[in-house]
Amino acid sequence: MIPNPGRAQIAARTLTSSICGAMTHDLELNSVGKTYPDGTTAVQDFDLKVEKGEFVAFLGPSGCGKSTTLRMIAGFEEITRGNILIKGRDVSHTPPEKRPTSMIFQNYALFPHMTVRQNIGFGLDIKGLARSEKDRKVERILDMFDLTEFADRKADRLSGGQRQRIALARGLVVEPEILLLDEPLGALDANLRRIIQNELKLLQRELGITFVFVTHAQSEALGLSDRVVVMSNGVVEQISPPEELYRRPATPFVAGFIGSNTVIKGTPAGAAPDGTQQLTTPFGTITGHGLAGADTAVIPAEAFRIAPQGTPGEIRLPGTITARKLVGAVGHLRVRLSDEREIDIETHAAAPEVQTLAPGAGVTLGIDPVAVTLINS
Amino acid sequence: MDVRMLRPALALYTGAFLAFLYGPMIVLAILSFQGPNGGPQFPIQEWSTYWYRHLLGLTETSRVSQLPVGDSLLRSLALAFMTTVVSVVLGTMSAEAFRTRFRGSGPVFYLVILGMMVPGVLVGLGMALLSNVLGIERAWWGTAFVLHVVYTYPFAFLVMLAIFNRFDRSVEEASLSLGVSPAQTFRRVTFPIIFPGVLSAALFSFTLSYDEFSRTLFTAGRDLTLPLSIYGTFSVEIYPNLFAFGVLTTLFSFTLLVIYGLLMKRFTGTRAGRFSGQEAVA
Repeated sequence: MIPNPGRAQIAARTLTSSICGAMTHDLELNSVGKTYPDGTTAVQDFDLKVEKGEFVAFLGPSGCGKSTTLRMIAGFEEITRGNILIKGRDVSHTPPEKRPTSMIFQNYALFPHMTVRQNIGFGLDIKGLARSEKDRKVERILDMFDLTEFADRKADRLSGGQRQRIALARGLVVEPEILLLDEPLGALDANLRRIIQNELKLLQRELGITFVFVTHAQSEALGLSDRVVVMSNGVVEQISPPEELYRRPATPFVAGFIGSNTVIKGTPAGAAPDGTQQLTTPFGTITGHGLAGADTAVIPAEAFRIAPQGTPGEIRLPGTITARKLVGAVGHLRVRLSDEREIDIETHAAAPEVQTLAPGAGVTLGIDPVAVTLINS
Repeated sequence: MDVRMLRPALALYTGAFLAFLYGPMIVLAILSFQGPNGGPQFPIQEWSTYWYRHLLGLTETSRVSQLPVGDSLLRSLALAFMTTVVSVVLGTMSAEAFRTRFRGSGPVFYLVILGMMVPGVLVGLGMALLSNVLGIERAWWGTAFVLHVVYTYPFAFLVMLAIFNRFDRSVEEASLSLGVSPAQTFRRVTFPIIFPGVLSAALFSFTLSYDEFSRTLFTAGRDLTLPLSIYGTFSVEIYPNLFAFGVLTTLFSFTLLVIYGLLMKRFTGTRAGRFSGQEAVA
């Protein structure tokens, strides 16, 4: 912490921030890393800048370092490299109670010996707020979260959804700059999860507070956030808006983790006249969107279609039907490609080609090159 | 074993356990109502509360002198109280320290636990020798008190360790992340939640210290504690007034237990829901 910076420093800082006003981010992680004393690395070179009011999700399989990173932002875990800035202030070694963050836990972490009202008022109590001011804030947030009727009950007598609402109210009433959410919906059943998910999104828009959200559920990350940070083995794989993350995976891990993609390896064959890149594969030449020299094609499942007649520019792969199943309006086809791998294709059950294709029949698959992403494996 | 046999077998075992636990006490209690001329054995000459009055000095002259336990009772209570306070504070603090693994935590753990494993007579003797060498006078509030703490502290420590083991750390983290200092977090969040454990640790320490004998024998000095002075009366002759005293102290212990039970109920009554909630999460 910098105790009482000099006037010159303040002036310099004001100048910097006025010149590049957009440069002060709500949250900034600069090559943050954590290595445990026994030498294992939890997080490596984490770089992220979050704008005020942004909703960022950390997504990855368990043990990928997403929760550790969140806890480093909250101050519960020491960082061993890099630094963390909140609103331009270096908080890398500030204890958690002195950081302008609030954390929401998967198991709610409510205080079992307090009523709902006491839980929510606890942070304000300690801050020494005037009683009337405190009561006003607590009542307002109780009302906002529809908790007024439970206000004087012990928190542990309420349902999971209500408890998570209390936890949110408790975390927000102290007016943090950043709300950190560690799998907050993980303990709720599917229905409730959807409801709270919607509430969360609305709440975040309304308050304009920066949210950092940790989850291992794709649908949550893609559905809620403005940007998703995909992590694996302590390393950031990709930081993109959900739409781009889905359409343009940047690494083999993301291609395997998000959506359902078919990955085909090949050798780079230069650029096509239209600027797309080409790849020579056992299935012929595949063109797609990507950087020069990329050697792997990623094809999302929904880009495949059954195409007896080709359209110009389309990538065409021969295959054999191995299974067919009709579920209501959707037809599920399993097609074996020439290298023995099988891919699943969904079509309209009513489509004529589905009606006629029995297992064993040969088909040609067509792929629109626009949907194909080329990456480096 | 056949499952149908298991229930009666366990019931029998429990019955035997209770019989052996309370049988001697019941015999004692019955004999405490012996008449003035009766001895410390059956048959009962006549039913009376003579020995209770004798104990409290309410009888006129008697062939038996009054049981010399008044001062030692007060001493034992004071000693047990002091021991309880120190052991519980130390036990809670060290259990808190053991929540995170630190260098040497393994050896330190076993060194602490050793305090309740080593034979009391030897520790008492050792302490007596040590105090002689150092020229410290032995006293129940000094040398004996130290040994009582050494003895009861590991119990308090183990109880608190078990409590912290299933303590949900995220509750403390939630408090910190609301901007509450670690000290306030302990006072307002951690302590109220672990309080039932603190009560249990206190009950343990008090009971162990209250009837500690072997360690106290060599270290109490001139003024005796209750177990020592009771033992002292054995060497003369046993009269039913001792039984009357036994009944009264047992009643006192039960009172303590009832207070403990009521406090536990008060502080954990709301907690049943919490534990089930945590299981649902896990």
